Amino acid sequence: MKNRKDLASDDGIDRRGFLKCMQWAGTGVIWSMSAGVPVSQMLAADTHKKADFTFVQISDSHIGFNKPANPDVTGTLQAAIEKINGLDKQPDFVIHTGDLTHLAKASEFDTLDQTLKSLRQRQIFYVPGEHDVTGDDAQLYLERFGKGTTGLGWQSFNHKGTHFVGLNNVVQLEGLGKIGQEQLEWLRKDLVRLSASTPIVIFAHIPLWTVYPQWGWGTEDSAQALALLKRFGSVTVLNGHIHQVLQKVEGNVTFHSAMSTAFPQPAPGSAPSAGPMKVPAERLKQVLGVTQVNSLAGARQLALVDSPLEGAPTAGEMMEGR
Amino acid sequence: MSKLRIAVLIGIWAASLWPAEGDLTRGRELYEKRCGGCHGLDNAKVGPPLRSVFGHRSASDPSFPYSDGLKKAGLVWDEATLDRWLTDPEALVSENDMGFRLSRADERSAIIAYLKQLPVKQGQR
Repeated sequence: MKNRKDLASDDGIDRRGFLKCMQWAGTGVIWSMSAGVPVSQMLAADTHKKADFTFVQISDSHIGFNKPANPDVTGTLQAAIEKINGLDKQPDFVIHTGDLTHLAKASEFDTLDQTLKSLRQRQIFYVPGEHDVTGDDAQLYLERFGKGTTGLGWQSFNHKGTHFVGLNNVVQLEGLGKIGQEQLEWLRKDLVRLSASTPIVIFAHIPLWTVYPQWGWGTEDSAQALALLKRFGSVTVLNGHIHQVLQKVEGNVTFHSAMSTAFPQPAPGSAPSAGPMKVPAERLKQVLGVTQVNSLAGARQLALVDSPLEGAPTAGEMMEGR
Repeated sequence: MSKLRIAVLIGIWAASLWPAEGDLTRGRELYEKRCGGCHGLDNAKVGPPLRSVFGHRSASDPSFPYSDGLKKAGLVWDEATLDRWLTDPEALVSENDMGFRLSRADERSAIIAYLKQLPVKQGQR
């Protein structure tokens, strides 16, 4: 990864305990707070067995994509589903963090819908990616997957004491993702009634932290959303879009991006473009995967486990804190 | 016809060829909304930078990894080719990496007009 300076966040929240760049690939890590400083521990393989509840994040299925980076994205989504169906403890629900489809065609939404019907856990919450809304300002997406949501697909719900918020930051693209004033005002009203001890999970497509703005990997007005979240003791922000595991902890907020189920993309700034990365066919399922999220009693942060579709989990790079 | 009247008519005709400010504003907004997620004006993202795309040959930015199909296409990007490309990239170039299409003709023409009038920076293609 190059241009590390460019990874510095401009979201304006507390810099105490800031770990600049935490990158893990296919492993689990749990974050807890000690004197204001996040402390990490590797997860035991059976962490999910101790969890109060578990949910799974899938992302960037890009149904309809048929280029050399993965000519069978429906097949790899099916492999992700089989991985989830094979978990000892079934998740309470699944979230999909966008780019359900590649071109937002009705046939692609149909295929996604049909494929996901084989999930044992049928409760799925969606937020759109830019590929789901291009061309029609999310009309078809909202008709198919936005039922019960507000505005252009934003939503919130409570589950076993944790408050979940799904944001749409892909409709008002201006180089970066954008949440927009109307949604920010909705978010303010949604959060105002919650106590500061309520664990919060935000899920959106484009990262809410500035990963690599040259490639549009950030959200222009995320600082306004994060300011609303500052008073909460535990905030976890889950996103997709960049097709790789990347994690950062900043103050009370853990940011985490998930692997795609369709194709990998290069590390920030490591290639001439951010486009789909072709890897040898036998390696593809090692760079695609899902994220399992465990809520543990007594822990202030959620435990995140990234599992590739194939192969043993391996620890990735962890950069030092400051 | 007096010289003055001819000059006025030429002026009106010339002005009609140039998009109105409001059209360009709409074109810029549509460009950002529809194209900006994958393209910068001056930097590559998923797709190549687009500031100088209008009037140039396809796949002509040496720093960008285009698909083999687009490299071989030999197109020149003008109103007609860009309109066909944005309508259905695969109908124009069967092997390409463009993950987008735009069905609305008025949006395509506004975006193309915006791209056409962008000032090309010195040293660019």
